[in-house]
Amino acid sequence: MHLCARTALTAALAALLAACGGDRQSNVGGATVVAALRSDFSGFNTITNSAQYTNEVMNYALFTPLVQYDDNLQVRPWLAESWELLGDTAVVFHLRADVHWHDGRPLTAADVKFTFDMAKTPETASLLGSAFLSDVAAAEVLDSLTIHFSFARPHAQALEDFWWAPMPQHLLEGIAPAELRNAPFNRAPVGSGPFRFVEWRANERVVLERNPDFPEGLGGPAAAQRIVLRIVPEVSTLLTELFTGGIHVDIDVMPDQTASIEQRSGDARLHAFPGRTVYYIGWNNARAPFDDARVRRALAQAVNRQEIIDALLKGHGVISTSTIPPWHPLHPGNIEPLAYDTAAAATLLSAAGWTDRNGDGMRENAGGQPLRFVLLASDDPLRRSVVEVVQAQLRRVGVQVDVRVIEFQTMLQQHRNREFDAVFTNWVIDNFQVASSPFSLLHSSQADVPRSANRSSVRDQRLDALIDAGRSATDPSEQRRIWREFTEVLQEEQPLTFLFWIEELAASSQRLDGVSMDPRGEFMTIHDWSLGAR
Amino acid sequence: MSAYILRRLLGAVPLLLGIATLVFFVLDLAPGDPTAFYFSPNVPPEVLEQLRINYGLDQPVHVRYVKWMSEFFTGNFGFSFGKGRPVADILIETLPNTLILTGTSLILVFVVGVAVGVWQAVRQNTLADGLLGGVSLFFYSMPSFWLALMLVLLFSLKAHQWGWPVAFPPTGMTSVDYDALGFFGRLGDRAMHLALPAATLTLALAAGIARYARGQMLEVVRQDYVRTARAKGLPEHTVILKHALRNSLIPVITLLGLYLPYLFSGAVFVEYIFGWPGMGRVIVDGILQRDYPVVMATSFLFAVMVVLGNLLADVLYAVADPRIRYE
Repeated sequence: MHLCARTALTAALAALLAACGGDRQSNVGGATVVAALRSDFSGFNTITNSAQYTNEVMNYALFTPLVQYDDNLQVRPWLAESWELLGDTAVVFHLRADVHWHDGRPLTAADVKFTFDMAKTPETASLLGSAFLSDVAAAEVLDSLTIHFSFARPHAQALEDFWWAPMPQHLLEGIAPAELRNAPFNRAPVGSGPFRFVEWRANERVVLERNPDFPEGLGGPAAAQRIVLRIVPEVSTLLTELFTGGIHVDIDVMPDQTASIEQRSGDARLHAFPGRTVYYIGWNNARAPFDDARVRRALAQAVNRQEIIDALLKGHGVISTSTIPPWHPLHPGNIEPLAYDTAAAATLLSAAGWTDRNGDGMRENAGGQPLRFVLLASDDPLRRSVVEVVQAQLRRVGVQVDVRVIEFQTMLQQHRNREFDAVFTNWVIDNFQVASSPFSLLHSSQADVPRSANRSSVRDQRLDALIDAGRSATDPSEQRRIWREFTEVLQEEQPLTFLFWIEELAASSQRLDGVSMDPRGEFMTIHDWSLGAR
Repeated sequence: MSAYILRRLLGAVPLLLGIATLVFFVLDLAPGDPTAFYFSPNVPPEVLEQLRINYGLDQPVHVRYVKWMSEFFTGNFGFSFGKGRPVADILIETLPNTLILTGTSLILVFVVGVAVGVWQAVRQNTLADGLLGGVSLFFYSMPSFWLALMLVLLFSLKAHQWGWPVAFPPTGMTSVDYDALGFFGRLGDRAMHLALPAATLTLALAAGIARYARGQMLEVVRQDYVRTARAKGLPEHTVILKHALRNSLIPVITLLGLYLPYLFSGAVFVEYIFGWPGMGRVIVDGILQRDYPVVMATSFLFAVMVVLGNLLADVLYAVADPRIRYE
C-alpha cells in the first residue's frame, strides 16, 4: 500500500515535470497567433465604445465597417462596395450582398440604419453619434442593400464619417438605449468580420477564431486559425513573454525597451510607426500671464522640443505644430515650427514687461510679481520627466515653473474645471477627420461651456473663422489652404503649445508574417497575421 | 465554540457596515468621476452629462448611499461603469483566481516558514542556521516588486535564453492551449504559471515566519516538559515535532491572521506584474477609473475575507492550545 502510494506520487510528479519541461514555442499551437496588450477591452459595441484598441479589434477582426482606409489614408469601399455623393448634402451607400453575421443572417441596410439611429439617440451617450456623426442628420433605407444618409450641413471629409461597423439589429433591438452599454452582447458579440468571437475572460484573454465564410471580395478567410489577445499589464513581463515565445505581438512597447528588442533582432522585430497621440502644454489663456500671446510664444520658444524627443523618447517622436498629424493627407506641408530660440524668448518676455528687476535671475513684472506658474501633469514616468525638463529649460530664461504631478483623475478634474495655470497632457485623435478636434479644443464657442474640451479658454477670432471654414470646405485643396493658415496662426498665437507626436512602438516575433502597422492601428493587418516555419 | 464563532460573526456585521459606509463616502470625496474614461476632447459635454444620468450620478450622495445599501442587501452589486457588466459576474470570474494565488501562498508561507524556522532552531548556531538566517533576512527586506522582476528575469527570461530544463512562464494563469491539455498537463500548466507569483508572495512573508518560528522553538525546547520528554527516552524528532512544535505554533498563528491583509494587498501588485487575472487588478482598475460599484463590492469582499481570516486564526489557537477555550 505504502509502496503503491509512493509509485503513484512518483508517476504524478514525472507527468507534472514532463508537462512543465516542454519548449514554450511549441506550446503555442501552429495556427494560433497570440498578441498581448496592457489593458482589457471594453464592450465590443460600436455605439457605446470609446476605447481605441477595442475599436480596432471591431473594425479589423470582429466586424465589417462601411468603409476602410487604404495605404494613403484615402477612403476605400468595404461593406459599402460603392457610393454616390449627392452634391454635399447626402450620400447613398450600396452594400455588399455577401457579408453575413456570424449566426448566418445577412447584414443589411436595416442593420446600418439601426446602428446609426441608436448612436444618435442621446440616451446611449454615444461618442460615435455625438461626435463623429454630428454632421449627419438622418438615415433612410432605400432597399435591403442601399442606404441614404443626409447631411446636417455641407462638411469636409464627409465619407470618413462612416468608418464604423454596423451592429446586428436582430440581436440588439429591444434593449433600452440607456442600457445598451450594459448589454450582454457587448461581451459575447456576434460579428460580421474575418474573425468570430469565441471567449472573453476578464483581464486575461479574448479568443477569436477564423470565419471561414468571410467574403473573398474582402480578402477571404483570415490567415490565422485562431487569435488570442492576452492582457498583460506590466511592460517588462509583457516583453519577456515576447522574448520567451509566449506571445507573438507585443502591442505596448516603451521607448526604453527598443534597444533590447533591436539587440534580439533574430527573434523580435520592432515596429515604430507614426502615432495618433500628440502631447501639448495647455496654457490657461484666461489667466495672466498667459492672456498675453507674447508670453505664450516666448515660453514656446524657450522649450527645446527636439531635446525632449531625443532624450526622453529616444528619438521616437516628431515636433508638432498643430492637431493635424504630419502624415495626414490634409497636413499643410512644411510649416516651420516655432524655433527653439532662448534669445528671442528673452526679448519677447522683456517686451511683455517681464524682466529681472531684483537681480535674482528670475523675471518680475512692474508690480514685482515673479513670472512663476504651476505646471500640472498626471503621474506617469514620461510626463513626469517631460515636465521636469520643461521646468529646467524655462528656468534658463528666468521663468520659475512649479511642477505638480498628480493622479490622473485629479489632474483631469482640475483641467476640466479650468482650475490650472498650465498643463502638460496628451490627446489622441480618434479618427482621421481633421476638423473635429480644432473645433473642440480651440473654438471660442466652447470656451465657456462647462466641462468642454476648450479647457484653456481659447478665444481667437481668426482661429474661429478658419475652423468654421475648414469644417465646411468640401474641396481638399481648399481644406489644405485653410489648415495651412490655421497652423500658421497657431505658431504665432500659441494658445496651446504643441510639443510632439509620439511614434507608436510595438514588437512582433520574427516567426510571425504579415504584420505591419501604421496610423491606422496596431491591429490593421490582423487578417494576414500568420506563423511562418522559422 | 460554535456560540463563540456566532458571536464573532454577528460582531463583524456592524464592522463591515462601517467599512462599507466609510469606503462609499471616501470614494465620493476623491476628485474625479467615472465618466473620465471618456477623456477624448471630442466628447461633447452633454454626453458626459447623459452618462452621469445613466449611472445615477446626478443624484445627491445620500440618495445614492441609501440606494446602494438597499440594493447591496438584496444581493445586487450593481453594474460596473467601466466594464458594462454586473459586478457579481466580475467577482465570480476573478475572486477564485485571487484565492488560488493567496491560498497557495498562505499555505506555503506557513509550511515553508515553520519548517525552516524549526530546522534552524534544531541546528542553532551552526553554519546552516546562520546561512538560512541570512537568506531569510535578505528576502524579508527585499521590496517585493524588485523580487518579482528578478524572479522573472532569472527563471523566465534567462532560463529560456540559457536553455534551462525548466523555464517558467512570466505571466498569465494558464497557457493559451490549456483547454487542449490532458489532466496532468493542465495541472502542470497551472503549477508552472503559479510558481513565480506564488514565490514572490511567499518568500518575504515566509522569511518573517521562519524567524518567529525559530525564536519560539528555541524558547519552547528549554521548557521542563520538553526535558521530560527527552528524559523518558523519546526520539528527538518526536520530541521536536510532536511535543515542542505545537506549543511554538501559537504566536505564529497570530501572525497568520495578521498577514492576511498583507497577502491580499500583496496580491494586488503580484497580479499586476504577473498578469494574473484576479480581483486585485479589478480593484485597482476600479479605483483609477472611479468605477464606484466595483470598488465598493471588491473592498467589501476584501474586508470580509480579512475578518474571516482573523476569526480563523482565533479558532486555530484553540486547536493548537487546549488551554484556550472560547465560551
